[in-house]
Amino acid sequence: MSVAAPQLAGLVPLQSVGITPIEASLFVFVLLTAVLTALFRDVLASIVVFAAYSLGLALLYTFYRAPDVGLTEAAIGAGVTTVFLLLTIAKTTRPATDARFEAINWPAVGVCGLFVLVVAATLPAFPAVGDPASPILANADVTGYYLANAYDETGAENAVTAVLAAYRGFDTFGEAIVVFAAGIASLLVLGREVFTA
Amino acid sequence: MSVADAALIAGYTVGDGLLIAATLFVTLAIAMLYRAIMGPTNQDRVLAVNVLGTNTVVILALLGAALGEPWFLDIALVYALLNFLMSVAISKFTVERGGVI
Repeated sequence: MSVAAPQLAGLVPLQSVGITPIEASLFVFVLLTAVLTALFRDVLASIVVFAAYSLGLALLYTFYRAPDVGLTEAAIGAGVTTVFLLLTIAKTTRPATDARFEAINWPAVGVCGLFVLVVAATLPAFPAVGDPASPILANADVTGYYLANAYDETGAENAVTAVLAAYRGFDTFGEAIVVFAAGIASLLVLGREVFTA
Repeated sequence: MSVADAALIAGYTVGDGLLIAATLFVTLAIAMLYRAIMGPTNQDRVLAVNVLGTNTVVILALLGAALGEPWFLDIALVYALLNFLMSVAISKFTVERGGVI
């Protein structure tokens, strides 16, 4: 009895839409937590639900076989971001209120919805998964080169990591410098010499 | 004939069973959101999200077995390690306002 991946397509009732039940329930979870994060009146409650949102998102990334993204979401989203947000509200005052949810600003919802529609309109421009005409598969020489030589040339087992940290290493280094500069700049603005809690 | 045998004959694999279990756990996670929404206190919400985190670790482990991807366990481990961080930070924050770390 081997545990195998591909034959799970047989049992899913939602297959006609291309969504498995677990994806559907994860989508519901992520959407619910996202909306709640926006709606909560109490900032602390917002932060707590945002942590739950991050949990769902990491699950979704992992389910779509993006381990590095899932791992980053787990480490940054669930752990560090919560602490940063708490540090931020610790320095601010909290409005006394009895209302559980924020009043909805409908014009803002309209603008956001419009923006989502505009972004969603670009989706059909993406090639389908496994489409032979997509740039990745059409330029098989380039893709194949990295897949064949990434380990020998860089020593990184994950091809994505190899490209990110080795082939375009200077680019990533530049990004790190930008983050470092931003940290220095915020220290200058705050008039501190070190980051303290 | 056991239930497992019957299921295997019906064409379902162990992976399918694990996947169904994972789906049920995600449904459970949505149910747990009730406590996170209704509160009434923030401690209830923290506890709810803590349970959600533990739930996530279980789902990741189930998915790893169901899809035959052992590295899912790495992410589950990272989650198990980091799950307490939020609870500790928020608990400290509510007890001594201002102190987080």
